[in-house]
Amino acid sequence: MNETENTETSASTRDLSNAPDMIVCEGVSKWYGDFQALDDVSATIKEQEVVVVLGPSGSGKSTWIRCINRLEHHQEGRIEVDGIELTNDLRNIEKVRSEVGMVFQQFNLFPHLKVLDNVTLAPIWVRKKPKAEAEEQAAALLERVGIPEQADKYPGQLSGGQQQRVAIARALAMEPRIMLFDEPTSALDPEMIKEVLDVMKELALSGMTMMVVTHEVGFAKEVADRIIFMDDGQIVETGTPEVFFSNPTEDRTKLFLSQIL
Amino acid sequence: MSDLNITGVEGTVAIKPPPETPKLPPREWLKENLFSNKFNTLLTLFSTAILLMISRGLLSFIFNPERQWGSTATNLRLMMTQAYPEEQYMRVWVSVAVIFTLVGASMAIWNAGSRVTLRRLGSFLLSSGVVVNILTLLAPFSGQAKLIWLIIGSAVAGAGGTLLRVSDKDKNISSLTLVVATLAAAILSLWIVPFGHHSFVFERTPRSMAETGTVALTTKLPWTIMVVIGILAYFFGKTMTNRFPSKNLRPTIIGIWFLTPPTLLYLVLRDPDFDMGHVLNTDIPIFLIFAIAGGILLSWLTRPTTGEIGRVCAALVLLAGFGMFFTPMRMIIRILMLLLATFALAAPTFSGDSKKQRRYVLAWIGVSGVITWFVTAVNTPSTIEVPGDFFLGGVSLTLLVAIFTLVISFPIGILLALARTSKMPIFRILSTWFIEFVRGIPLITILIFFSIMVPLFLPKGMELSEVSAIVIGYSLFSAAYLAENVRGGLQSVTRGQHEAAEAVGMTTSQKTFFIVLPQALRVSIPPLVGHCIGVFKETSLLAIIGLFDILYIARNVIPNQTEFLGSTRENLLFVSLIYFFFAYQMSKASQRLERRVGLGER
Repeated sequence: MNETENTETSASTRDLSNAPDMIVCEGVSKWYGDFQALDDVSATIKEQEVVVVLGPSGSGKSTWIRCINRLEHHQEGRIEVDGIELTNDLRNIEKVRSEVGMVFQQFNLFPHLKVLDNVTLAPIWVRKKPKAEAEEQAAALLERVGIPEQADKYPGQLSGGQQQRVAIARALAMEPRIMLFDEPTSALDPEMIKEVLDVMKELALSGMTMMVVTHEVGFAKEVADRIIFMDDGQIVETGTPEVFFSNPTEDRTKLFLSQIL
Repeated sequence: MSDLNITGVEGTVAIKPPPETPKLPPREWLKENLFSNKFNTLLTLFSTAILLMISRGLLSFIFNPERQWGSTATNLRLMMTQAYPEEQYMRVWVSVAVIFTLVGASMAIWNAGSRVTLRRLGSFLLSSGVVVNILTLLAPFSGQAKLIWLIIGSAVAGAGGTLLRVSDKDKNISSLTLVVATLAAAILSLWIVPFGHHSFVFERTPRSMAETGTVALTTKLPWTIMVVIGILAYFFGKTMTNRFPSKNLRPTIIGIWFLTPPTLLYLVLRDPDFDMGHVLNTDIPIFLIFAIAGGILLSWLTRPTTGEIGRVCAALVLLAGFGMFFTPMRMIIRILMLLLATFALAAPTFSGDSKKQRRYVLAWIGVSGVITWFVTAVNTPSTIEVPGDFFLGGVSLTLLVAIFTLVISFPIGILLALARTSKMPIFRILSTWFIEFVRGIPLITILIFFSIMVPLFLPKGMELSEVSAIVIGYSLFSAAYLAENVRGGLQSVTRGQHEAAEAVGMTTSQKTFFIVLPQALRVSIPPLVGHCIGVFKETSLLAIIGLFDILYIARNVIPNQTEFLGSTRENLLFVSLIYFFFAYQMSKASQRLERRVGLGER
């Protein structure tokens, strides 16, 4: 998370201009009653790209990321995920959701199931995997997020950071091509943030397409290929971390950065 | 990662036990808890006076020489099974034995019971001995009886005190051993003290209670056998636990528990006179056709590769099932068709590899077999001949109506709750109307309606016994209330849980079945158990519509026997004890269940 690591792990040096599009948003708008939460949002995210969405609270970044696996419905515009357009068609939604993993601010683990069952449930019943295979894969994933010894505990017995890592393993168990992170560290105690960010960093380096809503500037500087800054439901500024943090063009961006840095 | 730090911390810090809270000497305990200030002192004195007055009143009622306790002791069999014929009474004991076997085995398999420290047992004995002595002093006993009771009380208190002083702090004993010991003592007392007489053989002297009839009509030998069976079943359960994994054993036992009430009622107690020719020619072939054809259909539908066409097929089966109600058709075929449609519709939710497919098909064969057998048994006339409409009465009728009502109303209630919270307006509106309508009608109205009116509405040739009609009506009533309890639980499942389930790609039914319902039911355990207790106690309304439930027998039958004219109060007290016994057991079971699923901890 410190500046010295920046040079050796930055993914932003990669050239992704030839990679295929994974998420395409064109003119996406959404209203809650009369309040416009998203206003003409357009962006394209390439395969293997890591995009960090920044912005003040209430700027629509969570709403946008939740539209991408249709936990929220956009009312105008077009969202296409891996070539599948999100419409009201249930089959498309199910297909997109099994390709897109999501990690929530509040973890949302299933409290009545053991950690292992949290991870295997969807592969067994949605992907229709045999149980033994799913359990083998879950054990490997828990190893990957660093908590293989917690498989037989219930989520309530784990710390926040461990729970969030289980949530990441649960999402990965569906073998998604895209991972969405909705403020994954905002509900964590400071000393647990690092363990979750480490897992996310490892995931980004492994080539996963990621879209991360976060307030962790260090993570953004270090891992992101691109920063998208939102305010009032609009995309205000986009750029590589180097340019975005050192040389922002918009006044709103400057104001925001002066408040958080 | 951070795990390293944690182990480092654990290595250096020695664990310090919490300081022991000092025990207050009795005088100070009293002062702190009962006489801490003026108001508390006043409250303590006031409530002690009230307690003493109530105990004294109750004791002088119970031990009044005018009380005819012989009326309950003599009529125990009437209260339990009413007019069940004597020559068939063995069937009752077989049923009790089956239940004892299951209870014993389940206790072993679920590892029931806890450890009780000898000190706790000692303080329990000490305090109960003291209570007995206080009550004896209050009771209107003659000198000699008073002395005997005082000696008993002092002996118990003395034993408790000794146990308290002598035993180590950590010495303990299994609570199951205690229960078995108490039961054994109770049974032993049957052999020594002459109560539990079963027939009117007294001539002028109600004290000479003799046991008549066969072994089945007595109580001491059968009850002794029952306890032995229970203990044997416990050890049998223990060996089973060692031999089979509990994840296979427990569902099997739960399944047997669910099959037990209909089996005992229709096969053991009712003794149906099966027409074997009809069974072989019609019932078994129908079942086999459905089992095989349905099994093939379902194994195809649960294949992950079967897509939309599977849903279309399931819908067609449902349509065919409804269509059969408009053509002359055997009831069993209509029922099996609807059941098959339900299974077919749910198939995509449970589809998967061959192991899952096999399990689903086996579930279908099992359920359809049970339903076929059940319908056949219901339609077969009973050979038990009794004077009244129904062959059971008393406690067994009360339990029967309560158990069947609960078992039937649980699935209906859950479905109603799901429908009421569903996004589909037609289900939501229908279920809301049903619930509001049923909740707006008094239970007694529903019972009267179903006992008197429903038989009039039935099509020609279809018969429904009064008790069946009442169980159906009561189930609908109970389901409406259950639905509201479950709905409370459903609403307590957070939005985040729904979103997490949706985000991993679960369908609505998978989300409901795997994520929402388990959590909702866990939260609703306390209100659901409250509802069960309510359903059990409100079976006493059956007395009003003239069924021979235990309340009716206690209030209207026994007090009219020439030997026991006007013995209503004694019987009512006894009946309330019986109700209390069962209700308290349910309440205890609920507490254990809550602890087991860790309610309030997570």
